[in-house]
Amino acid sequence: MTKKTGISVPEGYFSKLETRLQSIPNQEVKPTVIQKVSPWLAYAASLAILAALGNFIFGRAAATEEDAWDYYSYLSQSLDPDGQIELMESPTLTEEDDIVSFLIASNIPVEHLEEFDYEEDY
Amino acid sequence: MENLEQVFNQIVKDYSERLYWHVRRMVGSHEDADDLLQDIFLKIWTALPSFRGEAQLYTWVWRIATNETLNWLRRERVRAALRFQSIDAELERRILADPYFNGTDAQRELFKALSRLPEKQRQVFVMRWWDELPYEEISAITGTSVGALKASYHIAQEKLKLNLSQAEVSK
Repeated sequence: MTKKTGISVPEGYFSKLETRLQSIPNQEVKPTVIQKVSPWLAYAASLAILAALGNFIFGRAAATEEDAWDYYSYLSQSLDPDGQIELMESPTLTEEDDIVSFLIASNIPVEHLEEFDYEEDY
Repeated sequence: MENLEQVFNQIVKDYSERLYWHVRRMVGSHEDADDLLQDIFLKIWTALPSFRGEAQLYTWVWRIATNETLNWLRRERVRAALRFQSIDAELERRILADPYFNGTDAQRELFKALSRLPEKQRQVFVMRWWDELPYEEISAITGTSVGALKASYHIAQEKLKLNLSQAEVSK
């Protein structure tokens, strides 16, 4: 195996990169989704996700992509009433990125997600 | 604060290029490496006030970079799973589409094979083979014993050889 990689960067990239990175201290740091969400909600959501995943894995349900999004809707219903309200009212938990952040924070092995069967319409 | 900024600017000077190459070899495409590097240095900046000097600055910076890279790969894997896609295929696609890859077919195959390795094995392989870090330094950065690192490296190397030979046969 050769150690040459064949990868390159745009001309002058590193000097621009250095300037850009050195401007970080002057940028406003935005809180992450998880930082915005209260810890109890993240905990409740992770429990709900685990329960729902168990249901999916052991139920071996074949699902459509639409079902997958229903599944996240279902997860939100698994929270206690206060959690549901906060989840619904939270502008931070409506995008795919937010779901990804929740799943990362809940430490669910990715393999469990990959167990989720997807069956195309034939 | 001014002092922290000076330290941070020095870290950028000392480590940005080397970390770029590490991250690029881990994730494949220039665009992803560029985005990830921004996140890594943002993390370094926010964590800098809590740096106590118990670890060497070098080890501390590398640890943040490698952890953030593994988190990024995991995040991409979860994202791909949510979209019912294969992360390996997605990373391969990005490598193939990268305008800043101008290597040979063999080098492209090596990157593709690398993207199929589990993240930790990929990390050890990249740090040892390309970044040429000694096992002792990799151990300090990753918190993994030297013995376990050597085993991971050996397995990664064998898998890469197998993947590359299979790619050669399928041509």
